[in-house]
Amino acid sequence: MAIEVTRQYLPLLEEEGRGAATDDDAGRDRHYLPDMPDEDPYQAGHRTCAGCGPAIEYRWVLKAAGADTVLAGPTGCMYVANSTYLCTPYTVPWAHTPIASGGSFTSGMAAGYEAMIRKGRHPGPYPNIIVMAGDGSAADIGLGSMSGALYRNHDALFICYDNECYANTGIQVSPTTPYAGLTTFTPFGKANTAGKQLPPKNLAKMMAEGHPHCYVATTTVGYPVDLMNKTRKGLNRRGAAFMHCYTPCQKGWVYQTSMTVELGRRVVEAGLFPVWEYDPEERKYHYFHPPVQRPVTDYLAMQGRFGHMLPEHVAATQRAANLNWQDMGMDVPAELREGEDPARHAKLKEESYSMPLNRGVGA
Amino acid sequence: MTTVHVEEAGGQRPAYGPGLRTPAGEERLNGLAGTRKRLNGCAAAAYAALYANVDVITAYAIRPYTAIMMNLAQFIADGILDAEYIHADGEHAQLSAAFGAGSCGARAFTGSSGVGVTYAYEMYSIISGARIPIQMSIADRTLDPPGDFGSEHTDALCTRDMGWLMGWAATPQEEFDKSLLAYAIGEDPRVLLPQMVVQDGYFVSHISGEVDMPSAEQVDTFLPPYRLPFPLDPRQPLSHGPQIHPSQGPPLQLERARAMEDAIPVIREKTDEFARVFGRQYPHFVEEYRLDDAEIAIVISGGHSVTCRAAINRLREQGVKIGMARLLWIRPFPSDDLRHALRGVRAVGVVETNLGLGGPTYGGILAPDVTAAMYHASNRPHITSFMAGLGGETVPTAEFEWMAGKLGQAVERGGVEKAAHWVGFED
Repeated sequence: MAIEVTRQYLPLLEEEGRGAATDDDAGRDRHYLPDMPDEDPYQAGHRTCAGCGPAIEYRWVLKAAGADTVLAGPTGCMYVANSTYLCTPYTVPWAHTPIASGGSFTSGMAAGYEAMIRKGRHPGPYPNIIVMAGDGSAADIGLGSMSGALYRNHDALFICYDNECYANTGIQVSPTTPYAGLTTFTPFGKANTAGKQLPPKNLAKMMAEGHPHCYVATTTVGYPVDLMNKTRKGLNRRGAAFMHCYTPCQKGWVYQTSMTVELGRRVVEAGLFPVWEYDPEERKYHYFHPPVQRPVTDYLAMQGRFGHMLPEHVAATQRAANLNWQDMGMDVPAELREGEDPARHAKLKEESYSMPLNRGVGA
Repeated sequence: MTTVHVEEAGGQRPAYGPGLRTPAGEERLNGLAGTRKRLNGCAAAAYAALYANVDVITAYAIRPYTAIMMNLAQFIADGILDAEYIHADGEHAQLSAAFGAGSCGARAFTGSSGVGVTYAYEMYSIISGARIPIQMSIADRTLDPPGDFGSEHTDALCTRDMGWLMGWAATPQEEFDKSLLAYAIGEDPRVLLPQMVVQDGYFVSHISGEVDMPSAEQVDTFLPPYRLPFPLDPRQPLSHGPQIHPSQGPPLQLERARAMEDAIPVIREKTDEFARVFGRQYPHFVEEYRLDDAEIAIVISGGHSVTCRAAINRLREQGVKIGMARLLWIRPFPSDDLRHALRGVRAVGVVETNLGLGGPTYGGILAPDVTAAMYHASNRPHITSFMAGLGGETVPTAEFEWMAGKLGQAVERGGVEKAAHWVGFED
């Protein structure tokens, strides 16, 4: 009696060989992308900042998903910067949701389409249903709603675009703000030299461990083909998928605007953002092993938000990165081990290559 | 490389047809048609959702409304109803999920009680402002503190200014009818507003009454398929809920205010249409009970009106010229109808089964609304209010008789003693 719900299949982009022909001098893949979809459901004309990481992520995700997509966006910088009444950058249906409703609103969209197609109210096919929630929404106020949606296994892709702060409200600390990251809620001073004192919440691992039936992946704007393929894998999978994407925020982190994609590579190469895929069929993590391993200072020094760091803060960050390398099943080179010793470091602001301190940031 | 495209709907809005019922569902509804069933208020609400063939149900457990969702879960388990049933992780998520489903064009049903209603508070303005006509079925419960299962109207009344249609049902039959009526009004393209169908916890939600079961055809005639004019559908992309500039605020807010006013004639029209299809004529907004020659009147809403009628009958036997005006809808507030109902009355007492702490009467929430509506009456009555039935306590006939005494005194002395009486705490 009920009508069968037909679902879309999105072919994966070839990854092997693409980079091999285009190695840069550091041995990294340069992604030459002649075969990307033409369509851009996320169009020009929005008001994101120069060098905006989330805008790059939005464009790749929607390019990968295509036109038969319904998109939700909880409150965050990408709500405010993208939507202006009587004007929109989206050529696919888009809805704003309250900041805590990313998971729950999207659950409703998925359930609505399941029921309407099954009951003959909508001809189908089942659209790609995507929510892109900031880290404040996904890891903080809307964590329960996001977890509820994954637990219920709605057929949708739940994305956290992570710029490691509440950027919309003027750069306040979020659970994914890194240790020692400066925000307007975690300034440094005489009594608190570190800025943020807590290590970040591991959102993606929490989602994978807590919802072992879901496809979960992490990626960054530094790896566009990986980002697009993980988007498609998440959408192709029948059921809930979660993708955690690292997206630099020029305004919040204070770096040169042309460095957004470079940061997306360096954070992985510094061991501070492991890129992996969790396969629910075999319950295994598959880690990406970057061809380059760097000391964390190569990453920290590019950003003003870390300019205040003292040797002990840098060493603690290197220690965290080294633990990440171990998690990823990679050897920790002696140079990086030695970086756990504060005596090996200078104050970051005294390094000639370091960005100036990020004081007085915020809207 | 391109992905699958769906053909454009030729500039037309995509059509959303009636939902298929399951074979077991059709069989059950055929068997029910024309029968009279003994149901409590919760079951009545659940049957209404079954008849309305809702697409998405979002549930979270809190007494006493839970029984609505328990009934619906059983309908789905038995194959009588085909709907997605979301076990939400809280009331905020419950309302958000119903909002998401409604935004895509699915008929969504949700509900709550007490602190569950207030936990979801952020969503009320957002859903009505988005003009997504989902339905929320509330069985009243006292807000904490104290921990109390009993009925008090404060939970739903807290949300009264958030742009939802809101009305109280006093019996299971009325609950069933009002649920269908509210969907028909809210989904009407001239209205497009979410609806709260409210009943007193326990007094209505858990006490059985007889409910006439219609045929599925009757319901389908009265309640056509839900067709949101602007669904989130890739066939006709559009954006919901963008940011605005302050200069765009006033016209948008005016539109929201007008939507409430514009609902008034539609409520009248649909109430009459309901009578033609189902044979039960309800007053549009205000039930007038023995008001024709009344000197004093009780204004009330919800289940305690049943006791109130009995008290009025007894007082009438003693020669007291008293009547009752029962509010069937509180939003939009029926100012005109209430003035008309109370046109000859000299003193009015509003029964407040709610708390309005620190408000203008230092009593409840309803009396200020009633007073504002009556202020412009040509023959303005004296108005007071009675705090009664708080925490889910009953309001026995003796208390209504005490209220009648206070109203009689107000007529005699030409003014009220105070704006709010705490019944049971005063002589």
